[in-house]
Parts: sequence; C-alpha cells; structure tokens
Amino acid sequence: MTILRFYQRPSSLSIAFSSRHERSFSGSSELVTLTTRRNQCWRFSPLKSSNGSPLAGASWKDDGKEMPVPKVPDIGSQLAENTVSITVVGASGDLAKKKIFPALFALYYEGYLPQHFTVFGYARSKLTDEELRHTISTTLTCRVDKRENCSDKMEQFLRRCFYHSGQYGSEVDFCELDNKLKEKEDGKLANRLFYLSIPPNIFVDVVRGASRSASSPNGWTRFIVEKPFGRDSESSSELTRCLKMYLIEEQIFRIDHYLGKELVENLSVLRFANLVFEPLWSRNYIRNVQLIFSEDFGTEGRGGYFDHYGIIRDIMQNHLLQILALFAMETPVSLDGEDIRNEKVKVLRSMRVLKLDDVVVGQYKGHTKGGKSFPAYTDDPTVPKGSLTPTFAAASLFIDNARWDGVPFLMKAGKALHRRGAEIRVQFRHVPGNLYKRKFGTDLDKATNELVIRVQPNEAIYLKINNKVPGLSMRLDSSNLNLLYSERYPREIPDAYERLLLDAIEGERRLFIRSDELDAAWAIFSPLLRELEEKKVVPELYPYGSRGPVGAHYLAAKYNVRWGDLSDSS
Amino acid sequence: MAVSFPKCPSSPLPPLQTRNRAWSSPLSAPVQVGDSSKWALLEATKRCHLCVSATNGGSAVAPVEPSKKVQDSGTKTTPTDHSTKVENGIRPTVFSSNEFQDLKTGPDNSGRESTVSITVVGASGDLAKKKIFPALFALYYEGFLPKHFTIFGYARSKMTDSELREMVSRTLNCRIDQRENCDAKMEEFLKRCFYHSGQYDSEAHFVELDKKLKQHEGSRISNRLYYLSIPPNIFLDVVKCTSLAASSENGWTRVIVEKPFGRDAESSAALTRGLKQYLHEDQIFRIDHYLGKELVENLSVLRFSNLVFEPLWSRQYIRNVQIIFSEDFGTEGRGGYFDSYGIIRDIMQNHLLQIVALFAMETPTSLEAEDIRNEKVKVLRSMKTLEIDDVVIGQYKSHTRGGVVYPGYTDDKTVPNDSLTPTFAAAALFINNARWDGVPFLMKAGKALHTKRAEIRVQFRHVPGNLYKKCFGTDLDRATNELVIRVQPDEAIYLKINNKIPGLGMRLDRSNLNLHYAVRYSKEIPCAYERLLLDAIEGERRLFIRSDELDAAWALFTPLLKELEEKRIAPELYPYGSRGPVGAHYLAAKYNVRWGDLGAEH
Repeated sequence: MTILRFYQRPSSLSIAFSSRHERSFSGSSELVTLTTRRNQCWRFSPLKSSNGSPLAGASWKDDGKEMPVPKVPDIGSQLAENTVSITVVGASGDLAKKKIFPALFALYYEGYLPQHFTVFGYARSKLTDEELRHTISTTLTCRVDKRENCSDKMEQFLRRCFYHSGQYGSEVDFCELDNKLKEKEDGKLANRLFYLSIPPNIFVDVVRGASRSASSPNGWTRFIVEKPFGRDSESSSELTRCLKMYLIEEQIFRIDHYLGKELVENLSVLRFANLVFEPLWSRNYIRNVQLIFSEDFGTEGRGGYFDHYGIIRDIMQNHLLQILALFAMETPVSLDGEDIRNEKVKVLRSMRVLKLDDVVVGQYKGHTKGGKSFPAYTDDPTVPKGSLTPTFAAASLFIDNARWDGVPFLMKAGKALHRRGAEIRVQFRHVPGNLYKRKFGTDLDKATNELVIRVQPNEAIYLKINNKVPGLSMRLDSSNLNLLYSERYPREIPDAYERLLLDAIEGERRLFIRSDELDAAWAIFSPLLRELEEKKVVPELYPYGSRGPVGAHYLAAKYNVRWGDLSDSS
Repeated sequence: MAVSFPKCPSSPLPPLQTRNRAWSSPLSAPVQVGDSSKWALLEATKRCHLCVSATNGGSAVAPVEPSKKVQDSGTKTTPTDHSTKVENGIRPTVFSSNEFQDLKTGPDNSGRESTVSITVVGASGDLAKKKIFPALFALYYEGFLPKHFTIFGYARSKMTDSELREMVSRTLNCRIDQRENCDAKMEEFLKRCFYHSGQYDSEAHFVELDKKLKQHEGSRISNRLYYLSIPPNIFLDVVKCTSLAASSENGWTRVIVEKPFGRDAESSAALTRGLKQYLHEDQIFRIDHYLGKELVENLSVLRFSNLVFEPLWSRQYIRNVQIIFSEDFGTEGRGGYFDSYGIIRDIMQNHLLQIVALFAMETPTSLEAEDIRNEKVKVLRSMKTLEIDDVVIGQYKSHTRGGVVYPGYTDDKTVPNDSLTPTFAAAALFINNARWDGVPFLMKAGKALHTKRAEIRVQFRHVPGNLYKKCFGTDLDRATNELVIRVQPDEAIYLKINNKIPGLGMRLDRSNLNLHYAVRYSKEIPCAYERLLLDAIEGERRLFIRSDELDAAWALFTPLLKELEEKRIAPELYPYGSRGPVGAHYLAAKYNVRWGDLGAEH
C-alpha cells in the first residue's frame, strides 16, 4: 500500500474548523482511498500560497492521528510521482464540450488537479490535438471572481490536452491510446479515469476495450458513466452485469449530477450539523415533502433521446429519487461514502412500489402567447407524431418506515413549464391547539411552517414562519427566515461536474450511485413504467409555458397537499 | 404569598379577539357596561376596518351595523388579505380620519356617546413631554383614539392651556411614512389638550379637575385614564385624590403607574396595599414598557403560532438563554433617581425578568390577559431565588479615548461620591420546573457600555454524535445553533445555522436564517408607549403587570438586593464605553456559557 502525499495547502488564514490543511492526494489502490478518506473535512476551497500555486510538501499526519508508516515500493523513494490521465470518451459530444472540459479546466485553474495530469479526448471523428484544443478553448471560461492569469492558465491547460481518434468497439484503438497514455505518464504512478460521455448502447463496448487494453498497470482505473442506466430493472441490471464483467464495483462511478449540486450537498450538513432541524425531521412534525423540478423550455429539436426515455426516467427515477433518499435517510454511521449509500439504499428499499393511481403524466402542447407561438412536444421533428412520452409527471411516494410512515413525498418534474427551478419543500404540520388559530382565517394550510431549499436557480434556504405584523394590532403573516446564497457567499458556486470529477479522481464515492442503489431505485419505478407503456396511458396535455396539467393538483389534493411552488411568490 | 385574583368575567366578545375585545369590565365600572361596550364595538369595527381597508385598497367602507361587523372581525383577518398586501410590498395604509369619523358617528342605539379623558399627572415632567404626549398624538393621528377624547395635563406649575400646548407641540412629530395633513392633525390634537394646575395631594384641586373634565365630557359616558408620571413617593396621594374626587361616575377609571414599584418585596407590597385601598386590581395598570416592544410581543407569536420552535423549547434542546440589555451612555447628570435604585431594580427585576417569564412560560389556555399572566406567575414562582454568588455587579469609571474624557459614574454631580450603586449587573437565574431544570438564564444589563442593544439569545445544545465534528475544529461552542431576537435597535430575528461553504471543499461555517424587520416591514414600528396606552384605554391587560406577578418578581431579587446593601459590596469598575466588567465572563463560564453578544460576529 502506498500513500503519497502530493501537495499540501498551507494557509495563512486561520480557520476554525481545523488547523491541518494538508490533504492527501491519490492512493495507489482503491483500498487505500477507501480506508483513509474518512474525514470529509480535508477538502476545502483553495487557499493559495503567496505565489498562488499549490505548494509541494509531505506530511503523514492526519488530523492528529499517526497514519501507518507507508511501505514505499522499491523504485519508490518518495520522488515517485503520481499522475492522473483523464480520458473523455465521446469528446466531440455536447456534454463533453459544454460541461466536462470546462469543469476540468476549472479544477485545474483552482489548483485541484495533481501537478501532473493528462487529458485525452477520444472519439471516432478524425481530429488533431490542435483541433481538439481549439474546440475546447471556445467553451472555457475563467471564474467571474478570479480572472487573474486566465489566459496563461488556459494555455497551460490546453497543452495537457490531447486527442486520440478510434472506434468505440475496437480494442486495438484502445491499445494505441494506452501507448499514448504511457508516453505521457512517463513512468509515473499512473491513475486513469475514463469519462464515458457516449450513448448507453456502446457503454459496454467501451468499457471492455478500455479495461482490457488501457487499464493502468500500477495505479487505479475508474470509469464514470452517466445516465441512462437502462430503461427499467431488467435492462439496468443487465448493464450492471456487463459492466461487472470487466470492472469491479469500486471502479464504477455512476454520476447523478444532481447530487453534485451545492444545496443537495448541503442537505446533509443542514440535517446533521445543526441541532434545530433533526428533531423535526419525521412524521411527527412533517406533513409532506415536495421535490420539484421544472424547466421552462421543451425538447427544442433534440427530442430523439428524450422520447425514448421520458421525464420519469430522465428526472424522477434518478435525480429526484436521489434527493429524496438523502433527505429521508437515517443518520449514517459516518460520512464515508459506503455508510451514506447504505442508508440511502435502506430508504429506497423501504419505499412503496409506485402505482399508476399515484402518478399523473402530461405532455406539452403548442401554445400561442403574445403573438409568439410555442411548439408542442410532438411538433418536434425528432419526436414521432403519436408519441405518448410524458414530458411532465407528478407522483406521490411513501416510505414505509418508522420515521416516515404516512408522509407523502410528492415529486413533480416537467418540461416547458412556466418557470425553471429545482427545489425541496418541507411542509410542517399544523400547530396543535394553535392559540392564534383565529388570526389565520380559514386557510390553515397556508399558515404552516415551510422549509424551502432552492437548489437552482438562485440557491437559497428559507424557513417560512408566522410572525406578528409590526403595529398596534395583532395581525399575523408569514415571513421568511432567509439565507440567500448570492448575498451570503459572493463567490461563484462550482458546477456540479467539477465536484463530481474531483470526487472521482479522489475516489470519494459519496455522490455516486452504487449498483444496489440503482437496483432499488428501478424496483420502485419499473412496474409503473411498464404499465404506462403497456396500457398506452395518454398523457394529459398542458400548454407550453403553463403550470402543468391540472391532474397534478388532484393528485396532491388526494393526499391533502397543496403544491408549495404554485402559491409561493418568492 | 402571591395574591390571587378572580378572573375577569368573560367579555361579551369571543375571547380570542384580544385586540378587538370590549374594554369594559363590570368589576371596574359596574354602571356602564352596556353603553361603553357599544363604544368598544365601534372601536372593534374600526380595528377591523384596518384589515378591510388593506384588501379594498384603502377605499372607504360604508358603515355597517356595528355588532354584525364585530362578529366578522375575526375572519376578516385572513392570511389571504395579508398576502395580497405583502405581495405588493405595501403595508396597509391606515384609513384617513374622515373614514374613521364616518364610522364613529354611525348610528348609536342609545344615543349616548362615550368619551375618554386622559389625564397626565406630572405633565411637566420629562417622560410626559418625550413619550406620553407624542404617543397620544400618534394614536390620534392613526385614528386609534375614540372620536371624542380630552387630554389634561396636571402638575404643580402654573401654566395656561396654551402654554401646555406650546410645550407639547415642540415634541410632536408625524410618522415618517405618513406626513399627510400632519399640521392640521396636530392643530386638532392640541385643541383637545388642556392643563390644570394643582397640588398632588389636594383633593380640592382634583375636585376642580373633575369639574373641568365633566365640562368637556358633557353628557357622554365618561371613561377616565390617569397616567401617573410622577415620583413614587406621591403615587398614593395622587391615587387617593383621583379616586375620591375625580373618578368617572358612569364609566371606568383606570390608573397607569410606571416603575419603580417599590424598592423591595416589602415596599412593593406596601405600595400595592396602598393602591388597593382606593382601586380595584383591574383599575391598576402597571406599565413595563419593555412588554410593549414589538419583538417582545412577537415572542409569543413565534412560539405558539409556529410548529418549528415549540418542540425545541425546553432543556432538552436549549443549552442556555441570554437576555442582554446595554446602553452606550451613562447617567449624564441625571443620576439622582438612578442612584437610589441601581441597575438591578431599574432593568433586571422588571424588564428582563418579564421577558424571561414570557419566554419560558408554558402554553397559556388562551391569549386572554389573565391566562397569560397566570402562566407568567407560575414561571416566576418556579424560579430559584437569586443568590449573591450568581451575580456580578459593576460600575463604570471614567475613560479617555481619542482625547475625549468620558466621566465615571461617581463624577456625576447628582451621584454621591462614594456611591456603590451598580450601573452594570449580570446574573444567572434558574427555573426549577420540568421544562427548564438546569438551563441557565443569563441576564446582563449595563450603562455606559460599548453598544446600545437589547436582545434575547437562545443557544442550543451541541448536536449529539455530530458527524461533522471534525469540521468544526476545537471550538464546538461556536458551532451550536443560536436563535437571536433583537429587540432594539434594528429589530430582527435570526437563526444561526451551520452550513456548508459553497465550493469543492467540505468546510462549514455559520450562516444566518434572517428576518430583518427593516427589510421585511417598511412601516415604522410604533413606540412601546403607544401600544401600552392604547391597551390601557381598551382594557387589554396582557402587557401590564398584575400584583401577584410583581410580588413574585420581587421575591426573587429582594434577598440579593438586601445582601448587596448590607454587605456594602463594591461593584467591579469598568471603563466607560467598554464591554463591562470581566466578572460577567467568569459568571457565564461558571455555567459553561459564553456571552453571545461578544462573539466574533460583532
């Protein structure tokens, strides 16, 4: 086992949380990272030395505990360097250009990448390194608050970017890639990360090629895969089975980029680092929980992929369900990835399988507003005319455990709605024996407390409380105890992809989805999805830009819930 | 022993409409029940109108048969009304006085109007000039006074009505947000102000006052309110004269008294006994102007109309509670009165203790004054008598900063040179009941400190088995949640929570869930005296101190006060403008508490 400390970040700032700012970088085997990465607090936002670059240094101290003295390999001396090679498979795709390369650059810019790293683009198209660099450079931007040296940094970053053209199913091509990688790695301890930014039908081909021909000989090899992970329980477990023919579980990093969102990350902090929320976090005090995702645009000519999956698979079964699991899980033993995922799986497995009665599906239709006409989903040329694919869905889910029995968890996701946003709303129960009942009039529902965690846009947390309106009379109204991120934290919030890429490089699995989690998630949704398709359930049409189908309200009303996002002006 | 009082007979209106309730009580004024409650109905109508006008965009509402409207008044204040208004960002404009008068001159079944006469005894004093007359004017300006009212100043100095008016007019000002017609209003108000000169202990002079009052009252049902803005040694004289010679014959007569209510348990009991020779309990309105502060009033709303706070409101989750009062100036040449009382009597035993009682009380049966005061008395009686070990006293000394010399307390000419009177005190109190056993309630009050503020800080316990422990470093105390209710200045409520600092690391820090009144509520917050005067006129006793409450409060502090004086304990000196004596920190540390107001945030 080798643990090499790559660099440390000494800080001139004294910060209350810890005096130790070193962080280890990269273990040479999965095991090392698993056992040493217990303390989440190692990570901190960049604190530069006076010359602005990370300092090299070595330290074996870890939060006061002596680490076992590492056995250094023979060649080893402490001079042996680590390197990480990140290969973006499907480099010419949209996601790669818009998210992955910019995220890698941001990590580099902020000093999170190891000193030596290589970025490879891999795709079928013939491109030179220069051409790749040119494509990438058009999408790179520097953080708003740190423009210093930006073009220098960009230049340096691009010099580490290379391109290799090859077929996705060809082991020979991956062999060539392996040769190129080795060249760049130059005898260093080589860790390799493959980001699979490709359609799901070639996942397995690429994994086979890459793992057989381009795995690291002496470091780790990890694969990041993006949704969709199958279309239902069967296809998903088939995919998992195939992946596992070439990879062990620890090498698979299933990304759900919603888990990388700042406020989703903060959810656990909010719950477990504060005393005031956890006592309220159960059926005793919570009336219902709402997970709401809405987009204000439709498929806009890119409905081909979407039509095959639909909103439930695209948003609900993964993003919203993951948030729900984080929200509802019991306190984990530690912040370790495995402990957290164990708790999440427990939640998912306690959930009732979703029934058709508890779901409303919708599809947007054309709408003319202010002289402008907005197309219907089926007007999209990439979508079949008679498509029944839902672009909107609302569902009520239940967790049949001691903490949540009877509390409806309502989900709502839709495209082409009146606004864009993602939020978690926690509606608390009525005050029992409320002394001020008369002051609220007839609509007591509006007078209950509500905790809102707005994931995007305009990150915020606020708690709606009832308050006396200042003045001589005794009138109550609802005010917010507010935390608006843009006011409190002027620094730009990093993109979810940055966090997830960094986590994958570091072997931090907390935010990635484990196979059993995925199975449990599909088990909840698969019967419903099958029924929808078999019965050809027709989605309720709603106008483009509207608040979605009326059915969603009936569904909520069935469980005595009112959607919080439609009555809240803030 | 605390004296217990019969509960007020229930008023003719539903109990929860505290603000709208009839103000008459058969006990205090047996004759006038029917008629004066008419007035009260009208009053209620008008209050209701306040809400209605918000929904109607301020347009006049046609007079409605009063009794019918009162029944509606509870439901008129629906949240919908509020939210409409809130969305516009506009606070409800209070109806113009014309609208109000339309209502008041509406049909009166009996044909008799009621009137209220407010006599400020000690009219030439500072409090009267600075607070009472301006508060009365503000009430008038906003239409909260009945249509017919008379204001009398009473004092020994010889003055004419117009001299009084001249004096009063200098301190009147209109609300910042409502300047309209201000001069005209002031003119009208001053026309209702009169002066009567007399000795405080002369019944004959009060008989003269009575005659003058009758003249103004005419044939109306007369209600009379006396505001005693005079030194405590003449309280009894004045009360005797007013009740014997100038009580209302057909309406109620109420007396507002200000602190000090005695110097200790005995003198306070004697005062109460004296007052009760001439007055019923429910004629006595002991004012504690801190109870009229907006955020103190909001304390009960916060606790009882929200679900999220009450489950946390006990020893199980609360580590300590701090009630902090500080002034950034000294006695400044007016230490005569203060020196014989000291900060403990002046601030702690009344203002801060009242806040503790409101904070810690059990849920009352209703919002009725008697129910709330019953619960407050229970808290006070469950409290441990204060011991000298749990108290730190201080006195400010002179200090030179930036070339400016700030005087010491004993440099004040009105203060004896060897005075041991504390100008600062910190105390740890305990409530020995099931809810609060073992939770320290720390109080701190001082003059000539570095800031001016009054706040309540609730420090919650540590998170048990905190997963993020390592992220907080060594100082776990700083990482606990804290609820802060800032009473003044700059009213605010905020809850300190631990939050992840956005970014790729996992660093936590404390952020505030904030409610800043100035941002949320654009309207000026009324002064405490306005609220209390209005309550007294309406007979709403919730914010006034009952005799048994007062007894219980004195019982906690009297042994300590006696011991301080008998042992001639010297206060710890602290420089003018400093953070107070170090002893306060030791006292807090003894109970594992750190004062929240001295943290890094300020």
